[in-house]
Amino acid sequence: MWPGELTVVLGANGSGKSTFLRCVVRLIEADSGSIELCGVDLRSARGRSLREARRRAAMVFQQVLLVRRRSAIENVAYGALGELPFYRSFSARTFPDELAERAHASLARVGLAEFAWKRADTLSGGQAQRVAIARALCQRAQLVLADEPVASLDPRAAEEVLVLLAEIARVEGLAVLTVLHQPELAFRYADRLIGIVKGEIVFDAPPNTLDQERITALYEAAAA
Amino acid sequence: MTETTMTFARPHSVRSRVVGLVVAAALIALFVHAWQDTQVSISALFSGFHNTVNLLQRAVPPSGSVLSDSIRASILTFDTALLGTAVAIVFSLLLVPFAARNISPHRLAYEGARLIIGVTRAIPDFVFALIFLVAVGLGPFSVVLAIAAHTVGVLGKLFSEAVEDMDMGPVDALRVAGASRTQVFVHAILPGIAATFTGLALYRLDTNVRSVLYLGAIGGGGLGFLLYDSLQLFQYQQATTELAVLLVLLLVVERASLLIRQRIL
Repeated sequence: MWPGELTVVLGANGSGKSTFLRCVVRLIEADSGSIELCGVDLRSARGRSLREARRRAAMVFQQVLLVRRRSAIENVAYGALGELPFYRSFSARTFPDELAERAHASLARVGLAEFAWKRADTLSGGQAQRVAIARALCQRAQLVLADEPVASLDPRAAEEVLVLLAEIARVEGLAVLTVLHQPELAFRYADRLIGIVKGEIVFDAPPNTLDQERITALYEAAAA
Repeated sequence: MTETTMTFARPHSVRSRVVGLVVAAALIALFVHAWQDTQVSISALFSGFHNTVNLLQRAVPPSGSVLSDSIRASILTFDTALLGTAVAIVFSLLLVPFAARNISPHRLAYEGARLIIGVTRAIPDFVFALIFLVAVGLGPFSVVLAIAAHTVGVLGKLFSEAVEDMDMGPVDALRVAGASRTQVFVHAILPGIAATFTGLALYRLDTNVRSVLYLGAIGGGGLGFLLYDSLQLFQYQQATTELAVLLVLLLVVERASLLIRQRIL
């Protein structure tokens, strides 16, 4: 993964895409192999070193995982919890001013500045997913992982989220890795496509070097 | 089609029929024993009815002389339950991060917290009260301690189960962002279950008011003690007043806790 690049992982249901993403941040333990994140071997990291390594990667989930009873701006600021000293992290009131500014800037970046004080459970699916992306920005991660971020969104909201992810990669210079179920969206926005069948990578190439048949084969191989 | 009769009854084996008969015989024996053990007597029921009518006649009109004492005692009863419950809430909240399986940092911590919860919940508040009456002496303070000790177990269990049932999504999201355990607990878990916790705590407060009544009778003071005292001294008209105040107290607490729970849940 390189900064400034939007990589899309494609594959049928059950092919191991989400497992792969979750292994990267160790929500699931990998059985074998190694995971290196910005020069840190994640699989051997424990406690504080694991938390510090995790801060470099932000995750955007399929179901938007915001703390429902808190405001959008608080949810954005939660991205930075890992860098706060213990005593400042108890309540949003004790968060540093710098963090408040950064959270508002992140929320503005995803176009939701005026929604700062709305409770997370009153936002629409698309808005909530953009808040989750703002949380990733506020985290100042170097890598953003998105697990089917548009699966539950209508086509327009899905498009907005992908435009945003592509911008984050190209304008902010982050490495973005997203799992998608929509090859047509993948072709339009990705810099690099990775195909997975039953846990194995079958292609890893820029979209302009791939044709529709390789993609179709991906889903047929899984069905066979 | 072969000839199978279409019924909803499962075909019985001889073995399952024998097991059924043994279970039925055991249940009958159990109830017969319980009947004899508790000295159930139909004649006592009838003479008791006569005594009850007699008692009721002597219980009216209610005595006004104990009204202010009863009200003061009912407030003491509520205060006792309130303090006991509050202390229990604090301690059970401290146990939750260890006693909820899905967030417990270590198996030993989990087992330890569960042991505390299991023991305090298993020992009735009545037994705790007997112990604390000896330890800190007669009076409401010993009941506060007894209520607190038993309620730690009850709320600890209910709170931990609420955490185990909660949506772990936001928890994962914050963990992945590098938040520490304490930060995750404060910002993702507490907001997710605050309403459930408050509801459970209020329900428990309601229950504890009732417990304080009978713990009062064994020496804890409050309305339960007044009522017990009046009945022992055959002051039935005073008892009627106390019972009326008691009913008002119970209804007010139950109603208030219900209204608050409906508002927050």
